[in-house]
Amino acid sequence: MTAPPLLDESTAAFVQDAVSIGAASRGAGDLPVLARASGCRVAPDRRRVALYLARSQSAALIDAVRATRAVAAVFSLPSSHRSVQLKGVDAELGPPQAGDFESAGRYIEAFAAELEPLGFSGELARALLWLEAQDLVVLWFTPSAAFSQTPGPGAGAPLRPAP
Amino acid sequence: MTLSIDSIRDCLEGAIPAMVATCAADGTPNVSFVSQVHYVDDAHVALSFQFFNKTRENVLANPRAAVAVIDPRSAAHYRLALEYLRTETEGPLFERMKAKLAGIASHSGMSGVFRLRGSDVYRVLGIERVPGREMPAPPRRNLLAALRSCSERLARCADLGRLIDELLACLDEVFGIGHSMVLVPDGAGARLYTVASRGYPASGVGSEIPLGCGVIGVAARERTPIRISHMTSDYAYGQAVRERAAAEGLGDMLEIMIPLPGLAEARSQLALPVAAGERLLGVLYVESAEEMRFGYDDEDALVALATQTGMVARLLQDAAEAHDEAPAAVARAAPPDGTPVPVRHYAADGSVFIGDDYLIKGVAGAIFCKLLRDYGREGRTEFSNRELRLDPSIRLPDVSDNLEARLILLSRRLAERCEFLRIEKTGRGRFRLVVARPVRLIEMAA
Repeated sequence: MTAPPLLDESTAAFVQDAVSIGAASRGAGDLPVLARASGCRVAPDRRRVALYLARSQSAALIDAVRATRAVAAVFSLPSSHRSVQLKGVDAELGPPQAGDFESAGRYIEAFAAELEPLGFSGELARALLWLEAQDLVVLWFTPSAAFSQTPGPGAGAPLRPAP
Repeated sequence: MTLSIDSIRDCLEGAIPAMVATCAADGTPNVSFVSQVHYVDDAHVALSFQFFNKTRENVLANPRAAVAVIDPRSAAHYRLALEYLRTETEGPLFERMKAKLAGIASHSGMSGVFRLRGSDVYRVLGIERVPGREMPAPPRRNLLAALRSCSERLARCADLGRLIDELLACLDEVFGIGHSMVLVPDGAGARLYTVASRGYPASGVGSEIPLGCGVIGVAARERTPIRISHMTSDYAYGQAVRERAAAEGLGDMLEIMIPLPGLAEARSQLALPVAAGERLLGVLYVESAEEMRFGYDDEDALVALATQTGMVARLLQDAAEAHDEAPAAVARAAPPDGTPVPVRHYAADGSVFIGDDYLIKGVAGAIFCKLLRDYGREGRTEFSNRELRLDPSIRLPDVSDNLEARLILLSRRLAERCEFLRIEKTGRGRFRLVVARPVRLIEMAA
C-alpha cells in the first residue's frame, strides 16, 4: 500500500489559493537563488506540485534546479499570514500544458483581489506577476517535506497530512 | 548601471513582505517571508530576526542569502545577494527596527506576534533588477529643494527661540508637515520637556516625557531617529506616561498636569535627536494622521535639518557666552500694588505653583525661584544668563548646559499661564523679569 500524499486536501487547496509564492534552489557554490512564482497547480493525486515561473525572471533559479533538482517553495496568504513551505529533491522544468497559462491568469486576478483590501491596487499585483504566454515555464516537484511557517510559536513545525 | 541600495529604499519600508532564501549546511534550500528588510547604509541591510527558524539556522552555517523585495509604488522587483555578518540585540539599529516592526505588526494584525529579537546585519554583495512590468510612480516632492530653502531660513535665525519656531514653521510651510514639536532634556537628562509645538489646539509647552518612553523618548535615549509608518499602541507615550505616573504615586502626577500635545491617531511618527557634538540639545518630533507619511528620504532631510539646527543653536550659544557680562546694574523697579499672590516652590521635586496653578518644575522652576528671590530681596528685574549659570541654587549640571532652552521654556510657560509675570529678552544673554502684581515666594520644605 502506498503512503498517503504529503499534501492533504486543505493544504493542496491552500497552495492553489491567492497566496504569495516564492521558490528557491541551491545554485553553484551553495548560493541560494530565488524567484517569485505566478501560481501553483497540484496534480489530482496531490503527489506533484507545479509552480508557474516567468522564464525571463527566473534564469538563475532555472539553472540551479537543472543542476541540483533541489527546491523549496513558500506559500503565504497576505490577509491571514498563514504560510506553508514545501521542499522537494526531484524538481524539473517543463513546458506549460493546455490550460496552464489560463490558470496562471486566474491566479493573478485572485491575488490582485486578495491584495486590494490590504491597500494595494490591483494594478500593482498585475504588474508584479505579469506573465506572457511564451515566457511561462513550469517547475514540477514531489513535496518530500512540508512545514507550517505561519508566524508564531508553531512556525517551522512539520505539517502532517490530516487523516 | 550599477544599482545602489539607497536608490531602492522604497522597497525597504516593509509595505510588502520580502522573501529570503538560504541554504542549509547540507545544501538544502529554504525560503520564507521576512517582515522587514531595513536600510542600514549603502553597503548593508538588516533583516528582522523574530523567530528561531530555519533561515536563522542556515545563515549561521552558510552566511549567503538571497532576498527579493518589491517597490510598493511601482511594483519594481529586485533581488539582493547578501552575506550575513552579525546580529544586534540592542542599540540604535535595533531600536529603529523594533519601532518600525511595531508599526508593521499593528498594521498587519500581528501585534503581540511580531517581536524583534535581533537585527541581523548583512553585507549587500549585489543588487539585480528583475525584468518585469512597472507602473509609473507619481512624481514626488523634491526634498533637496525643500531642504535648501529651510536651511537658508534657519541660518538667518539670531536667537534660540526664533530658531526653534522657524524650524517648525519650515516643516509646515515647506515640507507640508503640520504637526511638530521640539522637546529639550532637563538637567539630569531623565526627562524631556516640550519647549515648542505647532499645529495643535494647545501648545503643551512644559509637558514632559521620560527618557526612553515612546518614539521621542527612545530617539533621545538612543540618539537615533525613530520612525513608525502605521498606528501602533506600542509607542503611545501618552498612555505609558499615565501608567508610569500612576505606578509611582501622586508625586509624579505632575508629569501629566500639562497634557502632551499630539494627534490622537498618529499613523506616522518620526522623532529625531538634535545634537551639538556629543550633547543632546533636544528632540524634534513630527507626526501625521496619514500612513507611511515619512519615508527614508524624509528622514534624511529632517536629520539634515535637525543637524543644522543643532549647529546653529551651538553657534548662538557660543555667541551668547561671549556677550555674557556681569549682572546688570541693580535697577529697583517700583513694586506694584495689591495683595501678593503666593508662589510655592516645593523642594522635593522643584515644582512651582502660582496660586493653585502648576507652572513648571526642574531647572526651569529653580531659575524662576532665583529670579523671584532676587526680585523680592533687592527689587531686581534685570538678569543675565551668566549669573544664572554661576548660581548654586539652580544646580545647572555643567557650564555647557542649554540654559537658553530652559529660559524659553519658562518664559513660554509664563506667557501661557500667568497674566502678571513675564520674561522679556533684553539682549544677548540678558533678560528682564516683568512683575505686574506683587508676589510672595514660599519655600516648601521637602
